[in-house]
Amino acid sequence: MKKSLLTIVLACIAVLASAQIKKPELMVVPSDVWCITNGYYTEVENMGSVTKVPNYKQALQENMGLKLAIAKLNDLMAEREFPLQSLEQMIKNLEQRRMEDNMTMSKAGNELAESPLDEVARMAKCDIILELSWEVKDFGPKHSLSYILEARDAYTAKSIGAASGTGAPSMTADVDVLLEEAIVANMDNFNLRLQDHFTEMQTIGREINLDIKVFANNAAGVDLETEFGGEELVDVINNWLQLNTIQGRFSMPYASENVANFTQVRIPVYDERGRAIDANGFAKQLAKHLRQAPYNIPCKVMVKGLGRAVIVLGEK
Amino acid sequence: MRKFLFPLLAVAFVLSSCSAARQSLANKDTAQYRYEIECAGNAIQGTYLVKVWTYSRSAGIAENQCRKNAVHGVIFKGYGGGQGCVSQRPLAPQPGIETQYKDYFDSFFATGGEFQKYASIIGGTTETVRVGNEYKVGVVVSVRKDDLRKALEAAGILRKLNSGF
Repeated sequence: MKKSLLTIVLACIAVLASAQIKKPELMVVPSDVWCITNGYYTEVENMGSVTKVPNYKQALQENMGLKLAIAKLNDLMAEREFPLQSLEQMIKNLEQRRMEDNMTMSKAGNELAESPLDEVARMAKCDIILELSWEVKDFGPKHSLSYILEARDAYTAKSIGAASGTGAPSMTADVDVLLEEAIVANMDNFNLRLQDHFTEMQTIGREINLDIKVFANNAAGVDLETEFGGEELVDVINNWLQLNTIQGRFSMPYASENVANFTQVRIPVYDERGRAIDANGFAKQLAKHLRQAPYNIPCKVMVKGLGRAVIVLGEK
Repeated sequence: MRKFLFPLLAVAFVLSSCSAARQSLANKDTAQYRYEIECAGNAIQGTYLVKVWTYSRSAGIAENQCRKNAVHGVIFKGYGGGQGCVSQRPLAPQPGIETQYKDYFDSFFATGGEFQKYASIIGGTTETVRVGNEYKVGVVVSVRKDDLRKALEAAGILRKLNSGF
């Protein structure tokens, strides 16, 4: 009797624990403009045009100010019980992952189509990226520091909030002191904006974008106007989204027989097992629904970062 | 001797009544946001350095009230920036929160209340200006905003950044 009672109590605790939303992961990265201005970038040739790509590893290895800023931000966020993920550690893990990917890529035949920031966000599984930049401006013998800290949702790349400003000009304080002052002075306003975002996320879920496409001349012979029990496939998808999004929140700005775009799709932050869901996870749930009877549609889910997924119908 | 005792006691009573009335008026002014708060420079981590201007017919009461106004301002009013200062939103920006937790704040801001723990006057910064028939007294006050925020979070008035997770 006692054993079964204990089991029931433990089961209740487990259910309660899984019902609680996990804490979002945050990570600080230097902004593209800061990296490029300070020479921490590599040039990549893409279809004939040269693109500057931030080199986070070089920035962390060579810029003491960046390390100080990240340490200070981590200190302030830890004080609010929100320790940040380490970019440096993430880069080390990423290098390891790249080595593994290179070994298997030729077999899979896939190309890596992500920006360095997407790659870091995906690896880190961080929910919010804090982009940091600062610049020292000289006014004769005095210098002041302009500072921007912008929080971006890693899922949609939308801005959550920013703190920015220019400090008082100083003749004596060095850049590191000015940077620390700027971080400390701006952090409270920044955290208030973060809090607004968390409240919104807890209320109406996470935002993603979802695209549905159709393979031309697919073997299954389906498109978005194919009818199932008198209902077009696009309506079947609409109904599924209505049921599986938070408060039925999504919009469909465009739909044709071959393409349907769904934006501002508010998905649950975690599934029933307490695992974080991203656009890929959500799209897989929809694909699973479409593969089942009575639809029996073969589908392929393609990942486009944390906040965007594409389901291609007709073939695997 | 007894002839003078009664008038002396009467004068003392009247004076103390006036002082109590002025203090009560000052508290009313605080509740009605009748003070000015501005940034007084960059402070050390965990604090805000603010200059508070308080109005009263008694310069002494105005100076004492500055600490209360500084804490009140940091919680409910916030302050503007400029000249190297960063503007700060109030710790409790939600409208109506002061009324919602009236009992708590009445006790918190009572004379000798808990607000005193979070504010210290910076010595030698007092400025007094005569405005009509009252004084406008400005004092630089250091407010321990991190501790203040934690106290309000512990009282359930403010949400923690990680609440709900």
